[in-house]
Amino acid sequence: MKTRSITLCVNGRDYTFEVPHNRTLLQALRDDLKLTDTKYGCGSGECGGCTVLINGKDNINSCLTLAAEMEGKHITTVGGLTKNGQLHPIQQAFVELGAIQCGFCTPGMVMKTASLLAHNPNPSEDDIRRGLEGNICRCTGYENIIRAVQKASQMINASATQCAGGACS
Amino acid sequence: MSSHMSSRGLPEFELLIPRTSPEAMDMLAQHRDQLSILNGGTALWNYVRGRNRVTPYVLSLSALKGLDYINEIPGDGLRIGAKATIAQLIEHPAVSAKYAALHESGYWFGNPTVRNMATVMGNVLRASPSADCSCALLALGCQVILQNKSGQRAVDIDDFWLSYDVTARKPDELAVEIRIPEPKATTRSAFQRLTRVRQDLAKLNVAVRLEMDKGVCQQARIAIGCVGPTTMRVKKTEALLQGKAINDSLLEQLATSVRGEISPIDDQRSTALYRQQVAGVIVKRTISRAAADKGATQ
Amino acid sequence: MSDLTYVGKNIPKVDAKEKVTGQAIYAGDLQFPDTLFGKIVRCWEHAHAKVTHLDLSEAAKVPGVVKVLGPKDVTQKLYNCGVLDLLASEEVGHMLGEIEDQRIFTDYVRHQGDAICGIIAETQEIAEAAAAKVIVKYEPLPVYLQPEESAKPDAIQFDARKPGNKAFQLPEQMFPNNVYGWGDVDAEMAKAELIIENTFQLPKVKQCQIEPHAYVALFDQRGRLSIWTSTQMPKLVQNKLARLFEMPLSKLNLIPTTIGGGFGGKLGMIFEPETCAMALAVPGRHVKVQSLREEDWVASESRHPGKYWLKIGFLKDGTPVAADALFTADTGAYFTHATGVPFTTGAWLIGMYKYGAVRYKTNAYYTNKAPSGAFRGYGNPQTNFVLEQTVDQACRQLGIDPVEWRKRWHKQVGDDGWCLGIPYASSSLTECLERGAAKIGWAEKRAKYANQSGPKRRGVGVSVMNHTSGAMPMLLEHTVAKVKMNEDGSAVINVACSDVGAGSHTALTQIAAETLGIPMEDIYIDNNMDSAGFDVGSHASRTAYVGGGAVMKACEDVNRQLIERASTRLGIPVDQLEIKNRQVVSKDGKASMSVKEICNVGVSNYINPANGERNGVPGQIQGYASHFPSHNSPPFGACFAEVEIDIETGQTKVVEMVIAHDIGRAIHPPSVHGQLAGGAQQALGMTLTEEIRYDEKGLIQNNSFFDYKLFGPLDMPKLTTILVENPDPGAPYGLKSVGEAGTVNPVGAVANAVSHALGIMFTEAPITPERILKAVNERGIK
Repeated sequence: MKTRSITLCVNGRDYTFEVPHNRTLLQALRDDLKLTDTKYGCGSGECGGCTVLINGKDNINSCLTLAAEMEGKHITTVGGLTKNGQLHPIQQAFVELGAIQCGFCTPGMVMKTASLLAHNPNPSEDDIRRGLEGNICRCTGYENIIRAVQKASQMINASATQCAGGACS
Repeated sequence: MSSHMSSRGLPEFELLIPRTSPEAMDMLAQHRDQLSILNGGTALWNYVRGRNRVTPYVLSLSALKGLDYINEIPGDGLRIGAKATIAQLIEHPAVSAKYAALHESGYWFGNPTVRNMATVMGNVLRASPSADCSCALLALGCQVILQNKSGQRAVDIDDFWLSYDVTARKPDELAVEIRIPEPKATTRSAFQRLTRVRQDLAKLNVAVRLEMDKGVCQQARIAIGCVGPTTMRVKKTEALLQGKAINDSLLEQLATSVRGEISPIDDQRSTALYRQQVAGVIVKRTISRAAADKGATQ
Repeated sequence: MSDLTYVGKNIPKVDAKEKVTGQAIYAGDLQFPDTLFGKIVRCWEHAHAKVTHLDLSEAAKVPGVVKVLGPKDVTQKLYNCGVLDLLASEEVGHMLGEIEDQRIFTDYVRHQGDAICGIIAETQEIAEAAAAKVIVKYEPLPVYLQPEESAKPDAIQFDARKPGNKAFQLPEQMFPNNVYGWGDVDAEMAKAELIIENTFQLPKVKQCQIEPHAYVALFDQRGRLSIWTSTQMPKLVQNKLARLFEMPLSKLNLIPTTIGGGFGGKLGMIFEPETCAMALAVPGRHVKVQSLREEDWVASESRHPGKYWLKIGFLKDGTPVAADALFTADTGAYFTHATGVPFTTGAWLIGMYKYGAVRYKTNAYYTNKAPSGAFRGYGNPQTNFVLEQTVDQACRQLGIDPVEWRKRWHKQVGDDGWCLGIPYASSSLTECLERGAAKIGWAEKRAKYANQSGPKRRGVGVSVMNHTSGAMPMLLEHTVAKVKMNEDGSAVINVACSDVGAGSHTALTQIAAETLGIPMEDIYIDNNMDSAGFDVGSHASRTAYVGGGAVMKACEDVNRQLIERASTRLGIPVDQLEIKNRQVVSKDGKASMSVKEICNVGVSNYINPANGERNGVPGQIQGYASHFPSHNSPPFGACFAEVEIDIETGQTKVVEMVIAHDIGRAIHPPSVHGQLAGGAQQALGMTLTEEIRYDEKGLIQNNSFFDYKLFGPLDMPKLTTILVENPDPGAPYGLKSVGEAGTVNPVGAVANAVSHALGIMFTEAPITPERILKAVNERGIK
């Protein structure tokens, strides 16, 4: 199997490593870099558990993305939103609003929220529901997640320091 | 979906990432049908996983510059580059202002993540009868620009899908652009689809373009998906609209006519019977909405 | 409002921060040096076949493959991945006809996805590449997809112990005439002035926990077998594995990981046997097995489908004189839960209404579908679809308001619950019905939607349910809790209770904090299975109830010891002392001693060299409880749903839902709301979209989220949850369960709303647009 040497910037840190051509970004994150905060839920882009941010703004399914195509891109995972142990407002809102049950969809939901709020800082409830489509939660019925996104939007708008997408500058 | 033993990883292939268009053309010319083109990845990788096999080579468009545009050319129309995503499509002001059917098809397409990854061109190249943007494009009419080492050619969308999963693109060609003619001030269009839940492929989709003149339809294009091997036009039904004022009795006639023109099948998303029953309803509603110039994305 | 400090409070869950930062470790996230990867090779092309030829030689030659294991290379012992055998006595198990019929790797395929062999390799990719080189030849056998087919006399027999492929019926010794119920049904039914009789078809539905099954196992040089698993039932799986691999429990080290959702999908053993068998074959090396999403559908359990015949007779005034029921259950390819769900599906029927007489019978048959098992609600969603629609049909014909009928005829305090002989000790169902009806605007909407025209039709429906908190007395209920008081006065609670995500560790911490009178931050729930005593595990919505009872008792044991020590030290009788605000204080308020000091002195018990005296009572304080609850404190609930149906397309939109739940006391209200909302998502799926479909060869057609459609954020209705809190007298802090209950009531409420909108009752779930349009056309509704 042919390999390529790639450099990925994940959560602000550069990693240079060899990947087989058919390596997905999800495999590279989890298996090569041992960054297991991004989850495998279906491998077909339907559950959203593997959602990561590209260049601090756009969410993608890392299971449907080749690692080799991500050369030079800034990738943010849920772990990258936390700065010096300080929760990002989105994370804080998820904790406070009971938006987390089993937690397996949570990393993807949080990253999806980050992308949603980066594009639309004041979403309506309908915008939030539409914005979270593609990420399946089997535990919460989405109710507490939607409330958390509303709260996160308020928290971010009230704070001058933190942008929704968070990590990569 | 998979009836083969599945695996976590993708099957093996050699990834080609050309940096320039000529380089890409050379690779296409060299590997021809041994090569798949990777654009957004949402369609290709699921296609590959579903079959657990892939061509020996995969050509990624990721490093090609200048293909991610959506340009409105006044007096001419809309040009959509091969790498323009669905997310770009629905954010483009000219698309929502003048190409309602296309905008609506993008609006309902997949989910935000998929819209960030998937491209309009990829949707067309997948040659699936359930493709939403493809349905709108067929109704609007457009050309697909194909390029190989020796030059470009334009294929009309009506001639582009040859059958399920087969297009007019030759193995050495790269589809580089979609050109949609500029609508007149009196052109109306709309798109509607039915799904099982919100995030789904269509079980039926319909797009229409009407040339209206004081309440009379001068010309119509009606595209329907999921009722045959490719997204198709129902030309007899289109002809019924020509020169007619749109009213309830005409709409009933259209619904009946549509049923006679389609040949849906049973699949995981719906049944042939159901599609037969609702195709006319959705055509009626889409035409009414287009004629009334009411959006369906809110 | 209560005077409680921690119980009932809206505080962040104890595990929320680790989950929201991605630091929670699920089994698939585990990283060990020198890990090998196991791949279970499954039969994908047949649902019923003999393996005539298995050639592992090419797979073994793939560089990086460490070992290949065929059926003969692993234990030949049979097992049943379910756990009912550990929860009932051997005599009862024998009466029920529990059998073990599963193998780690098989040469006889009974359903698509049966495991054939295993590959162990240096990487996941190598294991998968080698798996593709395994050569298997099959002799296909006739495929039976319905009980009617497998029950035919000439059908191939799945198991000699189960003639006619009948896996289960209610046993004569426990249920005379194979009937669960009371009264003379035939005589009572003869009095009926209206009989509603239908056969309902129930779908096979998947748990779809978002975390696919994953494991790591290690057989170490000391002879211990360690298994990291996200099982819902750590102790029972530990017991099952110890039995299967013939090891003492002291050598079977089960390490529970964070659970990415269970819903019954991680109840009992799933792929632990295969994983452990692989680890045993490569001593000294960790083996990681990660299943794929598509594997989950074909190889693990799902909800029991079947045909449910129900006949209820009524008098004109609504009196339900008799109910007669037969559930023909499809247990799938293996025995698994063939006893449990078919029984409970009737139990929920029995527990609901004051019928004059009731007779429930059930037969479970093998088929070549994936095994049926536990899925949140354990038969109750099925019952809800059937019973609640039957009641509404009667109400329609009798001209009785469905809410009023339910208020009149639902069981009350003193009536027997799902288990005859165990009467309800509390019930707030009437209040649930009243508050829910007011919230959704029941009376106005029922009237408003009575006569509609046009393509969009609205309807509003109601449903009620009863459930349980733990499974006593039918099944064993037992949790051991140990509370170790640290020398600084903080506490570690050692229990085997798992938290499937429902928030049970948070609830247990709240209960401990409340009982001990110390802050939640000073309490940690320790899940070490070597040290933890027995616990049944997460099923039957029992953890807050039974686990909570155990934790409360163990904390009370700590308090008793603290007071005794303070009494000795202060010279004040124990009955004059109480614990307040981390102090043991005399009731007159004159003397006190801090909890921290008592704990510290118990540990650092110095001898004064001058006088040889100790500085207090020696010994570290530990509380202990081995708790067997005396009741099952069933919760009730009422649900209201409003739908809008497009009669030209059959599309249903659930517009609004109100769920009122008889919770007793909500220990952690956000979790209770979350359970109800999340349960609704699953119930709406079963009612409207979700069903595993098979082709004629018995191969699953929709083993992916592409074609098995779950409700997303835009599909969910506007949702209101109402918690009705009237504490149950026999429950810790008065709590009653919620988890499983969430999945029950929206099923019937939505189905009834659909019938209200259209005047058509659907006997087959899911109620798809295709089914609706067909029915609308047949009835000529315009």
